[in-house]
Amino acid sequence: MGRYAFYPGCAAKGASKELYESTVAVAKELDLELVELPQFSCCGAGVLEEVKEAVDLAVNARNLAIAEREGFKTIITVCSTCLLVLRKTKWLLDNDEELKEKVNELLKEVNLEYKGEVEVKHFHWVVLEDLGEEGLREKVKRPLKGLKVYPYYGCHTVRPYEILGFEPSENPNSLERIIRALGGEVALGKRRLECCGFHSFWPNPKGSLLLTGLNLIDAKKSGADCIITPCPLCHMNLDANQSRALKEVKESFKIPVLHVPQLIGLALGIEQKKLGIHRNIVEVNC
Amino acid sequence: MEKREATFRIKRFNPLKDTKPYYQEFKLTVFKGMTLLEVLQQIKDKIDPTLAFRAFCRSAICGSCSVKVNGFPKLACKTQVITELEKFKTDTLTIEPLDNMEVIRDLIVDWDGALKKMEELKPYLIPDPKVVPQTLEEECKVLPQELKKYDKFTDCILCTSCFSACTAVNIDEKYGGPFQLARLYRFAVDKRDALKGERAKIGYAYNMWNCVRCEKCADVCPKHIAPVDGIMKLRGISIEVGLKDNPGARHVEAFYKSLLESGTLNEVLLPLRTKGIKGIIENLPVGIKMLLKGKAHSPILKPIKEHKSLVKLIKVAMEVE
Repeated sequence: MGRYAFYPGCAAKGASKELYESTVAVAKELDLELVELPQFSCCGAGVLEEVKEAVDLAVNARNLAIAEREGFKTIITVCSTCLLVLRKTKWLLDNDEELKEKVNELLKEVNLEYKGEVEVKHFHWVVLEDLGEEGLREKVKRPLKGLKVYPYYGCHTVRPYEILGFEPSENPNSLERIIRALGGEVALGKRRLECCGFHSFWPNPKGSLLLTGLNLIDAKKSGADCIITPCPLCHMNLDANQSRALKEVKESFKIPVLHVPQLIGLALGIEQKKLGIHRNIVEVNC
Repeated sequence: MEKREATFRIKRFNPLKDTKPYYQEFKLTVFKGMTLLEVLQQIKDKIDPTLAFRAFCRSAICGSCSVKVNGFPKLACKTQVITELEKFKTDTLTIEPLDNMEVIRDLIVDWDGALKKMEELKPYLIPDPKVVPQTLEEECKVLPQELKKYDKFTDCILCTSCFSACTAVNIDEKYGGPFQLARLYRFAVDKRDALKGERAKIGYAYNMWNCVRCEKCADVCPKHIAPVDGIMKLRGISIEVGLKDNPGARHVEAFYKSLLESGTLNEVLLPLRTKGIKGIIENLPVGIKMLLKGKAHSPILKPIKEHKSLVKLIKVAMEVE
């Protein structure tokens, strides 16, 4: 299997440690070599665009250029927002020679150059590309038989399609493919592509929690035993903020929310502690 | 020529006779290259003349034929039916009126609310007498690199697809709206405009920080405008013109500080930096739960490798025009 530059993102190193732990454990089991580069910086979560576009582009072109300098062809991330921010930078620079030149002039100040050779992918995309559903199925030791899983995509792994492009943003199925390959059942809902509101949490906490509450209700209605998400920010709203999000929609129930690598890890038979299951706020009984 | 049978499940509602909306199915043979507008017209011409929808130019430029196809806003004249059937792996397409606006009849919605919001935001040039000459003898040149800043935002055809898809519009009545705020940005960076950056204050009053950045507007825009890009830039301008004392602006500052301090986001200090003591109090119960689960880093972060060069790069980028 491949060797990849690993860009965990800040959330996976802090508030979503279990995502970092489960990704590392699952990658090892699937023979995906993840090399975390200590020079990678925060992508700025799009917020840097509001400081100044040039800063946003320079910081993220630096991340891309560092991966290129270290000889990597692909960066893997486990955060949907990091994915969008890094891919957006790449997309802007690769489609605008003049802009690329300007950003490279900035990078020259720190002896770096962005060539445009490195790709940026989400962890679960690579699992599907490298192993495929069949390859993943073969690795399963503990099939998720009878487990109904709600695939919650959120926004930044699918939208905008022009920049993400892995699957149709209006009808993606990567998470469903993973759930089925692991032996689980897909719980169908209407809000799998709706926003969790995370990025407006600080200016508008009520609105943000309302969106998460509606998503949680939809998951519950679908008959799901648990939710999975490829994004640690969606996870924070769905899991850590679950009880207050449900208060916003006048509901009270509990539904476990797993990171995609946690679900894969459980099916691969990896020890729960290594997957950080104990760190999830809503208890996961598995 | 590729042909196939397809079913169109159309949402119907005539307020003069229906108490509530209902779906009606129409079966048609569709062929490669056929647009949804051709389908709607065929239904109206040959099956049911009462079907109501808007359409005009048939060239994706007038913006009148936007409807929802399987939940996603699109221009009927720009949407090829077979492509949609293949994308959704189905033989049935559900056609509905746009969201976030009242339905007048069938697929026709009332745009007035969305357009009134646009008017309130004053998205038209207020000439700066220092830049725009007073006589016709003199010219006011806009150079290509100046136009580039807002060129794409001038392509908006007011189809309201983004307004229909917008998460923030759906939950916040006061929110300015995606195409409206993007237009505001367009004038905020037009050198001929008298208000320029001050326009960001209008955006602030219309809750532009409540944009959830769901990217739906970027995805559905038939003109590839990505209103969200304009909204984020307008938020940046609001900080430049002095609107710094609010959670949105302080959140931006918190990210910037983190990058300068260590290169990674200091999540532990984020509530304090974004909302002050209120940020800590409001989030204390969740914060404690997370702390007990070991979901927090130390408040002092070790700088990333080559951090000094990152800081140098940021400083240089800050100087860029």
